[in-house]
Amino acid sequence: MVAQNIKHALFCAVITLIISYPILGLDLIAEGIQIKLSGADTSTYIGIAAAVLIVFLFQLFRPAITGSLSAIGAANPLRDRKPLPQDKRVRLERAALILIVIGALLWPFFASRGSVDLATLVLIYIMLGLGLNVVVGLAGLLDLGYVAFYAVGAYTFALLSQYYDISFWVALPLGALLAAAFGFLLGFPVLRLRGDYLAIVTLGFGEIIRILLNNLTSLTGGPNGVGGIPDPTLFGMEFGRRIKTEGNTSFHEVFNIPYNSDHKVIFLYLIALLLAVVTLVVIRRLVRMPVGRSWEALREDEIAARSLGMSRTGVKLSAFTIGAFFAGFAGTVFASKQGFISPESFVFLESAIILAIVVLGGMGSQLGVILAAIAVTVLPELAREFSEYRMLIFGAAMVLMMIWRPQGLLPMSRVHIQLKQE
Amino acid sequence: MHDVLYFLQQLINGLTVGSAYALIAIGYTMVYGIIGMINFAHGEIYMIGAYISLIVITGLATLGSAWLPLVLLVALICAVIVSSSMGWAVERVAYRPVRGQHRLIPLISAIGMSIFLQNYVHLAQGSRNIGFPSLIQGGITMGAEDGFQTSISYMQITIFVVTLVCMTALSMFISKSRLGRACRAVSQDLKMSNLLGIDTNRIIAATFVIGAALAAVAGLLLGMYYGSIDPLFGFIAGLKAFTAAVLGGIGSIPGAMLGGLILGVAEAMTSGYLSGEYKDVVSFGLLILILLFRPTGLLGKPEVEKI
Amino acid sequence: MKIKLNKLVVGVSASLAMMASGVTQADIKIGIAGPMTGAVAQYGDMQFSGARMAIEQINANGGVMGEKLVAVEQDDVCDPKQAVTVANNMVNEGVRFVVGHLCSSSTQPASDIYEDEGILMVTPASTSPAITERGYELVFRTIGLDSMQGPVAGKYIASQKPERVAVIHDKQQYGEGIASAVKSTLEDDGIDVVMYEGITAGQKDFSSLVTKLKKENVDFVYYGGYHPELGLILRQAQQAKLDAKFMGPEGVGNKDINTIAGDAAEGLLVTLPPSFDEKAENKSLVDAFAKKGEDPSGPFVLTSYTAVQLIADGIEKADSKDPIDVAKALRANTFKTPIGDVAYDKNGDLKSFEFVVYEWHSDGSKTPVK
Repeated sequence: MVAQNIKHALFCAVITLIISYPILGLDLIAEGIQIKLSGADTSTYIGIAAAVLIVFLFQLFRPAITGSLSAIGAANPLRDRKPLPQDKRVRLERAALILIVIGALLWPFFASRGSVDLATLVLIYIMLGLGLNVVVGLAGLLDLGYVAFYAVGAYTFALLSQYYDISFWVALPLGALLAAAFGFLLGFPVLRLRGDYLAIVTLGFGEIIRILLNNLTSLTGGPNGVGGIPDPTLFGMEFGRRIKTEGNTSFHEVFNIPYNSDHKVIFLYLIALLLAVVTLVVIRRLVRMPVGRSWEALREDEIAARSLGMSRTGVKLSAFTIGAFFAGFAGTVFASKQGFISPESFVFLESAIILAIVVLGGMGSQLGVILAAIAVTVLPELAREFSEYRMLIFGAAMVLMMIWRPQGLLPMSRVHIQLKQE
Repeated sequence: MHDVLYFLQQLINGLTVGSAYALIAIGYTMVYGIIGMINFAHGEIYMIGAYISLIVITGLATLGSAWLPLVLLVALICAVIVSSSMGWAVERVAYRPVRGQHRLIPLISAIGMSIFLQNYVHLAQGSRNIGFPSLIQGGITMGAEDGFQTSISYMQITIFVVTLVCMTALSMFISKSRLGRACRAVSQDLKMSNLLGIDTNRIIAATFVIGAALAAVAGLLLGMYYGSIDPLFGFIAGLKAFTAAVLGGIGSIPGAMLGGLILGVAEAMTSGYLSGEYKDVVSFGLLILILLFRPTGLLGKPEVEKI
Repeated sequence: MKIKLNKLVVGVSASLAMMASGVTQADIKIGIAGPMTGAVAQYGDMQFSGARMAIEQINANGGVMGEKLVAVEQDDVCDPKQAVTVANNMVNEGVRFVVGHLCSSSTQPASDIYEDEGILMVTPASTSPAITERGYELVFRTIGLDSMQGPVAGKYIASQKPERVAVIHDKQQYGEGIASAVKSTLEDDGIDVVMYEGITAGQKDFSSLVTKLKKENVDFVYYGGYHPELGLILRQAQQAKLDAKFMGPEGVGNKDINTIAGDAAEGLLVTLPPSFDEKAENKSLVDAFAKKGEDPSGPFVLTSYTAVQLIADGIEKADSKDPIDVAKALRANTFKTPIGDVAYDKNGDLKSFEFVVYEWHSDGSKTPVK
């Protein structure tokens, strides 16, 4: 047994050495016109050696270590806690959501410009997460090209404002409706595909939209994107330093206060908050309506649901369209926040991040999605000092979360209706 | 004549890239065939293969070793060893613990792994495009001196030959060897093979190792053919190879070969007769069309819906 | 409602003003924004090395108005999306003067934010005319325009009397802008462009493109874009035995093209700013770079140095740290800099800037072409 352990541990250590040394220890550098190999600095070698040693020891004493780890788990006092009763938990979740919204409404007035800016981004991801949650979490349709609808919303606003001077408030419903229309049109043929094939087709669709945006240079500006997207106005008042559209007034002039660029950021944040709350409430209601129930029914057991007379295409299509609608919403806000969009903002990685938010939050759970959106957006920003390692850590965290907590932060639990028990 | 030669040249260009796609596609198709997951990190394994070959070639050049076949062979062996180890480690660390969960979980884990590996190489080797020396030069030219000439470079011939050899070896291995037979058994019914005493964990690990080894071969070949590598070039190639695997029928090895070739030729023809900008649209459009009308791909077996 | 909102806003801005006044600004922050990573990071290296040197030297000479310059460096990867994030970060960091960005497609969206937020920006490398033609108050550059560079290249090509010319570009603002300038110059000179096509930046397989060039029987190819793509095109063209002369803008002129293209880079024509590092009056500056082990010969090193110096001189001349005053001072005066005497027109473009045609060699050196 011990001999076998040593053999296995040695094997793992050697593998660690093989996969780390050549990449980390031998650097390809360009010296003039020649490519040369150079050794890394000593600390890298020490790091590699340490990694090899750790892997060796871990594999050698694996049973002991995993044993003590589960002992830690057992020592957790909350482990044996009974789940809260149904009605209490529902009330608690509702209270938490309301508290979050109130808190979110107040804090920008005390926070720095940078953090409000970041919070707006968080809200956009919350909208996206909630929207994709309908498709993936509730209806169980694996969508790897969700970013396409986000792009449709963003580009609708950007292009309408560029060619027709359409303002944010007009573009907002248009962008969302157009995204929904795209969802509907795409959903029609592809929704009869099962599981992974659906995932692949949506992935292809997402890439096609991006490449088209990249190539239709005369319309979309190609890789250069569309700039100069106007900020939202408040009853015809602009928040910029100078008025851009004729006929509008300037916020700081109307109220006779000195110009401060924070106003614009806070205003955008409040709009994003409003839209995120709308998204949250609408989806919350939808889930309790027959259409929401049928999403889940179809996800749980397609054959049973169909034999009860549900239209498979109709139900899936409704989920797909509604998901796309909210992506369009988020896209419009994103375009207005950035003031500039390019196809680079809508790459596959973005789809993957939104999907990660949904899965990390606990599929189907709204509070979970909100928490996950905050975590996924804010944590990398906090790690700015490690900015180089940011994406590395992000990737590793995705893997580790899936291993340790595959059910997500706050897994969704069904709301049962119980008969009163006397 | 002129047009025929032009067509022929584009066909050769397409087949070259297509056969390399096929090599990468094997990794996707075998893994999907056995555990039904899309290994998003496979493109990164291919990229690492390319980096290792370049590191070895550069190292040997500094040491003064110049006999070309030896250099290539050593580079190939090293790339295969490192990539296979990487494939094994990735499976062990990121996929085995989440096997059997809801199908989204391994997918997210794979995407995370892909991001991780991309940045791992990026941090270690920098993000610049690094030139890959063109070791195999020259070629054969056809056509009149003054008109359009079709040429096949020795590099292209090498890619065809190596792909063909790898594919033949793989088919032999899968159909004849004990491990290959076990692979086929596991892909048909994982639980049953387990009951019959096949160590399924080992078979799954072997699938990852084989796929990674072939990806490393593709990395060396395509790195040399294109002429430069960077940490991001694995992702898009992976996406293409995956498309090829689906096109040919995911789970089927001849399908991956066919899918790769079709994809490569479709891309070359789009660039040749329309515009290079739209070649990706055509390849993904082709994918969607195939899936709509023949969801199991060209050579895939129709799946029976189990109740 | 209106009154309430008014009060709230006044209250908020008052509290913010108090917070702001609590911090005394002892240093002048100079933002440096450019690619530290990504495919064209070597140009970023040039930019950062030039700007850092200027900041060091100015600080060693006592700073500006008695205050030290502090660099705030950010990486935009030459990606328009990241550039917007970087620009917002600069605003959040309280930076008032920025040297950057590098790629035109990054500079364009970032300049919208800087102009809006009252930040003065000097780009040492972006040559797209669109950046300054919007009449922004706070946008300047220390390099010429595509509309100056394109005709230089076009006139040179016309003088070579090629029979069939192809113009290829990477569809980005810089590449396409300069390619179309070259194309129109050629057409004005009565030379027909037989092929005008875009490629996708980051692509690696150009065999189909090269085959097409061969079919069109071109003998001269102009490429608008950066070196990673042109390097591969050169190499794959050599493999496919395409016999044509290639030419590109300053974005292809650096030694990395040799590591990618190898011998195929021999004879490539490049339009570059003149080699400022060879001017006699820059001798001491070049020595200072050599002492640090850096190479000042890259096209953007001294333009970046100049950008920092101009900001410092502008602040001194205006006797104010307000970017708007500094912008006025920059427009009103002529400055002596390593790239020559600098004077600005009302758009923030240099009144004169010269581009020279060089021939590139396979050992990474270049010689001027007459």
